[in-house]
Amino acid sequence: MPERVVEVVPEEGLHARPASLFVETANEYDAEVSVGPEGTADDDLVSASSMLAVTGLGVAGGEKLRIVAEGADAAAALDALEELLSTPEDEL
Amino acid sequence: MNETELKELIDVELISLDEPPAEKEAVIEHLLDLAVEAGRVSDREQALADLLAREEESTTGVGMGIGIPHAKTAGVAEPTLAFTRSSEGVDFGAMDDEPATLFFMILVPEASSDDHLQILSSLSRSLVHEETREKLHAAETSERVQEIIIAEVA
Repeated sequence: MPERVVEVVPEEGLHARPASLFVETANEYDAEVSVGPEGTADDDLVSASSMLAVTGLGVAGGEKLRIVAEGADAAAALDALEELLSTPEDEL
Repeated sequence: MNETELKELIDVELISLDEPPAEKEAVIEHLLDLAVEAGRVSDREQALADLLAREEESTTGVGMGIGIPHAKTAGVAEPTLAFTRSSEGVDFGAMDDEPATLFFMILVPEASSDDHLQILSSLSRSLVHEETREKLHAAETSERVQEIIIAEVA
């Protein structure tokens, strides 16, 4: 399965607007995307399409995320999510 | 947070099991008023402005029937968590379009670090589980709700 480790650039972390954009983006693609802090085992990853689950990760700015995608658009979904997480909040 | 701090955070006075108003902003004010009546809010206007500014950025209707309005604000001196629930459901603008039925308001003082985000993430982690949500709906007293929240957030 395609996967990637990406640093969370927005300073406040994966909260508020960056988090909702992240979930919206994950939902736009024909792919099942799951996410967790870097090093998270497969079984402990949570759904990237649930705002509640993503909020529960409590990821701070500067931390790294492991993102796994499965499905027809998996690679495109990972590209879009990586770009989003690499964008400072004031440019989102 | 230890148990004493958690009991202080979500005092039984901050829990209401009565049906809240049917509209999002009114629910937020209703939760805020629980905190005001419990003597936890020094500046209601400021706290409300900070809560609504956060909603403006992106909704705290996080789906699965949960709304968690929250803010860091000069309007409180101590971390404060208020709870109410609805049997009707309230449109909280969630991405999954599910009406919210469980509401938690988190207010932390301006000077605190990121305590509210920690409370927010541990609450969210536990609320992902259907069992937790069902327990909160089934609870018959404020004391029971307090017990559940303390067990889940700790």
